[in-house]
Amino acid sequence: MEELNCKTVFTIPVFGGIPVAESIVVTWIIMAVLVLLSVILVRNLKVENVGRKQLLLETGISFLYDFFYGILGEKGKRYITYLMTVVLYIGIANIIGLCGFKSPTKDLNVTVALAVMSIVLIEYSGIHAKGSKKWLKSFAEPIAIVAPINVLELFIRPLSLSMRLFGNVLGSFVVMELLKIVMPILLPIPFSIYFDIFDGFIQAYVFVFLTALFMKEKME
Amino acid sequence: MGTLIAIGAAIAVLTGIGAGVGIGIATGKATEAIARQPEAEGKISKALLLGAALAEATAIYGFVIGLLIIIMLG
Repeated sequence: MEELNCKTVFTIPVFGGIPVAESIVVTWIIMAVLVLLSVILVRNLKVENVGRKQLLLETGISFLYDFFYGILGEKGKRYITYLMTVVLYIGIANIIGLCGFKSPTKDLNVTVALAVMSIVLIEYSGIHAKGSKKWLKSFAEPIAIVAPINVLELFIRPLSLSMRLFGNVLGSFVVMELLKIVMPILLPIPFSIYFDIFDGFIQAYVFVFLTALFMKEKME
Repeated sequence: MGTLIAIGAAIAVLTGIGAGVGIGIATGKATEAIARQPEAEGKISKALLLGAALAEATAIYGFVIGLLIIIMLG
């Protein structure tokens, strides 16, 4: 039960002390790794005679790009970089538990922040694509009587997005801890492959997929 | 009081029934679809994976509620 809570690592001594949670420190580590990787990997990129490293990088990036392009289309091209960043972050955050860190996504605050960012971007994409008047009108579609349900959706969508990610990561963590109590050797290995690696990537995929889908719906 | 909290958490976890039935039906239909059109396997399994993840979310909500009941009340 102690493991479930997110501990405060240290406190910044300004404005009466700002507590810094463990999830933030792990997020800094992930940011540092991602920034370092993006600095190292994009050096010496060539147009001809590409190396193996560049080929792998291009395959990965174009896979992600084509995936989001297939959902969002030409109009939503400007949001693809954000979605790619989020999927990289969530993917690494979900499997960083294997390296001995605590997953940031196991903290409800992190997933709620991600979901709020998503819903703001979803609504912004609607406003940007249609203009604010048409965006307001889109709440009363297909008929005016469903407007309260459409407004309610503004709150349900981030709630379900954040709860899905948080619950999945926390749930797989609890199951893994219970399994380690039952039998610490050999038994957790196949379950760890499913719960830690497969489930983590699936949840990152589902999160950005749903964000892109809602965005597409808002832009139409 | 402790027994009541445990019973409440157990009832919350019963949401797993719905998710199990839903994923079972989805997988059955996907298998049928693949049997009928083996060439569309890639698309079908992609949709199945997404649907299963969405259906699983209901069970996860139950789990989160159960955990909240135990942490908040227990």
